Amino acid sequence: MNSVFPPGTAEILLIEDNPDDAEFFVHTLEKAGLAARCRIIPDGAEALEFIFCTGRHAERQSVSRPKVIVIDLMLPKVNGLEVLRRLKSDPLTRTIPVVVLSSSQEERDLIEGYELGVNSYIVKPMDFDEFGQSVRLLCQYWLQYNLTPETLKKPPA
Amino acid sequence: MRAEQQLRASLKEIDDLKAALDEHAIVAITEPQGRITYVNDKFCAISKYSPQELIGQDHRIINSGYHSKEFIRDIWKTIGQGKVWKGEIKNKAKDGSFYWVDTTIVPFLDEEGKPRQYVAIRADITERKRTEEQLRISFKEIGDLKAALDEHAIVAITDPQGKITYVNDKFCAISKYSREELLGQDHRVINSGHHPKEFIRDLWTTIGQGQVWHGEIKNKAKDGSFYWVDTTIVPFLNDLGKPRQYVAIRADITESKAAEEKIRQMNVELEQRVAERTAELEAFSYSISHDLRAPVRAIGGFARMVQEDFADQLPPAAQQKLDRIHKNAMKMGQLIDGLLTFSRLSRQPLNKQSVATATIVQRVLEELQSEQANRCVNISVTELPDCQADPTLLQQVYSNLISNALKYSRRSEQAIIEIGASQQEGSCVYFVKDNGAGFEMEYAHKLFGVFQRLHRADEFEGTGVGLAIVQRIILRHGGRVWAEGKPNKGATFYFTLGGVHE
Repeated sequence: MNSVFPPGTAEILLIEDNPDDAEFFVHTLEKAGLAARCRIIPDGAEALEFIFCTGRHAERQSVSRPKVIVIDLMLPKVNGLEVLRRLKSDPLTRTIPVVVLSSSQEERDLIEGYELGVNSYIVKPMDFDEFGQSVRLLCQYWLQYNLTPETLKKPPA
Repeated sequence: MRAEQQLRASLKEIDDLKAALDEHAIVAITEPQGRITYVNDKFCAISKYSPQELIGQDHRIINSGYHSKEFIRDIWKTIGQGKVWKGEIKNKAKDGSFYWVDTTIVPFLDEEGKPRQYVAIRADITERKRTEEQLRISFKEIGDLKAALDEHAIVAITDPQGKITYVNDKFCAISKYSREELLGQDHRVINSGHHPKEFIRDLWTTIGQGQVWHGEIKNKAKDGSFYWVDTTIVPFLNDLGKPRQYVAIRADITESKAAEEKIRQMNVELEQRVAERTAELEAFSYSISHDLRAPVRAIGGFARMVQEDFADQLPPAAQQKLDRIHKNAMKMGQLIDGLLTFSRLSRQPLNKQSVATATIVQRVLEELQSEQANRCVNISVTELPDCQADPTLLQQVYSNLISNALKYSRRSEQAIIEIGASQQEGSCVYFVKDNGAGFEMEYAHKLFGVFQRLHRADEFEGTGVGLAIVQRIILRHGGRVWAEGKPNKGATFYFTLGGVHE
């Protein structure tokens, strides 16, 4: 396991298997001019490989810690809560903000999400416009307003 | 002279003896024909006759009629032969009362050996006889009770060491052991091994201290079958306060125990089945929640995207159709959410507690403030008694009923909503009344069905889930909900909460 994340360009990592939702997400980011800073991975297993630079991403050396990981819950192979658990139980990744963006507002998902240390939990709005607004606001917030220990370590631009 | 002195001394002695005898005994003398020639004071006292009434009579004067002719004949035969007769006789006094005398009749013979006179010496044994009689009755009663007990119960007696000293037939019947096999054994012979050591120890400690023990015991019969007995063990103590013996009275409760066990098992099964069903429902609604929303969102979303991205290429009719697609997708989303809420509220455990109804209503009214914006609504809340309910669910009920009232009264010039309660047949009936669109009573039964609506969607929007939720919550509280209405005259929704007077 790498001790430091290699430098890279993905500031927003979206883990989403539904291509429609992924397209809406990107559509919104395009309008907000943020699309280039986003990377989409469609399943939980690959997402973990990507983050921890293992398996399919073992050779990759060019990605920094994302400023936010946006994650759906119903994912093939490794589901969203499991990805969340792995991220939050590893000291290397524990401080990366993780936002659940789920169709579900089931109480048990909310409870488990927060018990695992999720930083925010957002239910995908039904309405397309509201959905876009939520995505835009959340990405702006985590990219522009939120501070993490890593933000301070970076040399001033 | 000496002879005279001797005679005098002898007579004196006889007098003394007679005086002593009179002091002690009831004495009578009769001549051979049975006529009384002498009675002493004690005879008169007990028979309540004067000497004058007795002298010259025979003993029939005090005959009680109790003794058989043979008994009397035997007396006369015995003393007629010059032999002493002893026995107990029941006599009748002058006042009709009876008395018993222990009697000795001594015949005195003449020179020819014929009875000259009979001296009867008697002792009053009336008291002893009465005690004997009472004792006899008591014994009889005890015997009766024992017979009844043996008929009814399983009875055993053990000595202080626990050895069986007595068992009745029922004990033998249920344990399938013969009396011989049981006597001298202790109760381990029927021990089923079902009860823990502490249970048995507690039993012995209790009765060892002289206290009654009561409980249910599972025993094993000779053939290996088990039986349950409801058992009472009563210790009987000796003069030192130590148990002298233990009497155990038991009733066969094998059948009721079996029934109890069956009910318990059925309950376990039932609970298991309910849990399975609930889990199925939960899994179902969980997957609805996750999987059904996404395609609906995609339909609406792509319709919007087409409208945005190709706005200048689409004729107005196409724009309108895309609008309709989007609206329908949103509607579908609302229906899914409604169903999920309905299902969640049905599964959610009921957290009943004392609730200030008025506070709940106030909270709901504050939440619904925005729905009254730009409207003139007259809302009055009259006295609302506290109730036993789940506060979250009750708030949902009021929220649905009041927002319905607001919705359906929005076309009334002056909307009036009344929230209150009344007492009906000892239970509290809460109501929410409006003067809005109302409904036709013939459709009242459809109001509470899921997705059932009595108004067209272009008149009043809605999913048809709100009242179904209200009904489900009220039913879960053990209450009742119903409605009265008239088209364009308003509607009143009533409900009770089962717990108010429980």
